Amino acid sequence: MSVDRTEELLLNMGPQHPSMHGVFRMVVHLEGEVVTKIEPKLGYLHRGIEKLAESRTYPQFIPYTDRLDYLASPHNNFAYVLAVEKLMGIQVPERGEYLRIIFAELARIASHMVFIASAALDIAGWTAWGYAFRDRERILDLFEMTAGSRLTVNAMRIGGMIKEPPAEFWPALKSFLDDLPEMFEEYYGIYLGNEITMGRLKNVGILTKEMAENLSITGPVLRASGVNYDVRKAEPYSIYDRFDFEVPVLYGCDSYDRNLIRLDEMKESAKILRQALRDIPEGPIMAKVPKLIKPPAGEVYHRVENPKGELGFYIVSDGTTKPVRMRIRTGTFINLQTLTEICTGWKIQDVVAIFATLDAVLGEVDK
Amino acid sequence: MENKELLKKQVEELAKRVNGEVEESLGTLVLKVKASYIIETLKAAKNFGETPCDFLHDLAGVDIGDHFEVVYQLSSLRGPQKLRVKAIVDRETPIIDSATSIWGGANFLEREAYDMFGIQFKGHPNLKRIYLWDDFEGFPMRKDYVAEPVEVRNVVRVRREDE
Repeated sequence: MSVDRTEELLLNMGPQHPSMHGVFRMVVHLEGEVVTKIEPKLGYLHRGIEKLAESRTYPQFIPYTDRLDYLASPHNNFAYVLAVEKLMGIQVPERGEYLRIIFAELARIASHMVFIASAALDIAGWTAWGYAFRDRERILDLFEMTAGSRLTVNAMRIGGMIKEPPAEFWPALKSFLDDLPEMFEEYYGIYLGNEITMGRLKNVGILTKEMAENLSITGPVLRASGVNYDVRKAEPYSIYDRFDFEVPVLYGCDSYDRNLIRLDEMKESAKILRQALRDIPEGPIMAKVPKLIKPPAGEVYHRVENPKGELGFYIVSDGTTKPVRMRIRTGTFINLQTLTEICTGWKIQDVVAIFATLDAVLGEVDK
Repeated sequence: MENKELLKKQVEELAKRVNGEVEESLGTLVLKVKASYIIETLKAAKNFGETPCDFLHDLAGVDIGDHFEVVYQLSSLRGPQKLRVKAIVDRETPIIDSATSIWGGANFLEREAYDMFGIQFKGHPNLKRIYLWDDFEGFPMRKDYVAEPVEVRNVVRVRREDE
């Protein structure tokens, strides 16, 4: 029996492609319409943040971290300041810790809302896009009230928070939390529970548990492959050990579960936010830190659970005001390694859907 | 704490076999070895009886001055154990064995270390620059790298045939 084969076709997707979530390029090798291999090409947004860190003082570097994962910038601040505080042994006041948690979890919800919106858009679900972006706007307004900016918030300082939120922040946050369950129902009804979505995503792009562990996958992508691992539970940082929340784990290993798990995570974040709002004490938000930040010579590695994967900072200090080496371990950069394995055998329209589930943000991928 | 003591025992035993040094930095065990022992070290760490460090969390190059270090952050999805392995790489001939045979996840990370520090990973399936373009000269994260003036930097890049 003879098998008809067609000539291999090379297709460049990106860097300017509507489904590439930024300036990402992939070279897709096709046989007919079926993908045989994908080569990710990175570097279009490479700014050399690790190199820049070596010529900036420790506080000066905080705004640069905002530009990593720009959809959840408080998280990047959080990881960085925690690493420096661990190196210097600074204890942050209670209220500061709570405010950090509130900002971080709001950012997680905002990031996942963008995920739902863009993943829906990639399989031509225009309506869901509108709903999720409308709701994310309310979180950005909360950030703007406190820090003055919406996207690159720059809300945290070494030793605490930039500012006390204004009086109108609290009722706005409360009403947002009250409206959240309804929003989740809307997302489910219009996008995740939709028959077309299920048809497009169920059993598409299988990433097994073994593959995920071997490829160092972290974050929601790992948890959608049936691994119960979350840094907030496994190695609680800040005050996450005080909150009562679950780590959602799904076992489908497919694109649909990687979508659904984001919705579940938002629900857990809302739980944390409600508890933080209930328990937040009065008091100072900044610890007493020296005017000149000079960590002792040594090295530190600190990681946090970013909405898109684990974010880790490895800082080598020589006792001066500038780090010797600042290594940033970003989640989606490493998660992108799976792309060729999980896309092989699928068609081009599936590649777009699968790529969306990895939730790549190019600021984080290219650093 | 029990987990940590078990791990420490295992690491100390391993250190004797691979001529390594064990340190502790802010609660994390650090094992320093020469580049030639790295595969043996990583394989042993992956198979530590009760405390396997079987998840490659991060891999990065560091320029220490007279030598480079490749820093592996190992952890596990099944326990709290953490281990930092440092491989000392010679500055003149920066060659080390690739960890891609142990963890597929080392692929991009080693390409990045090669791109930024020029560390050659022997046995890597596709050791090419990952962020910078292929005809970029020098390795920018090295401490002795001198950035060029703007006029030189703004060259127009010529597309290669296979792109």
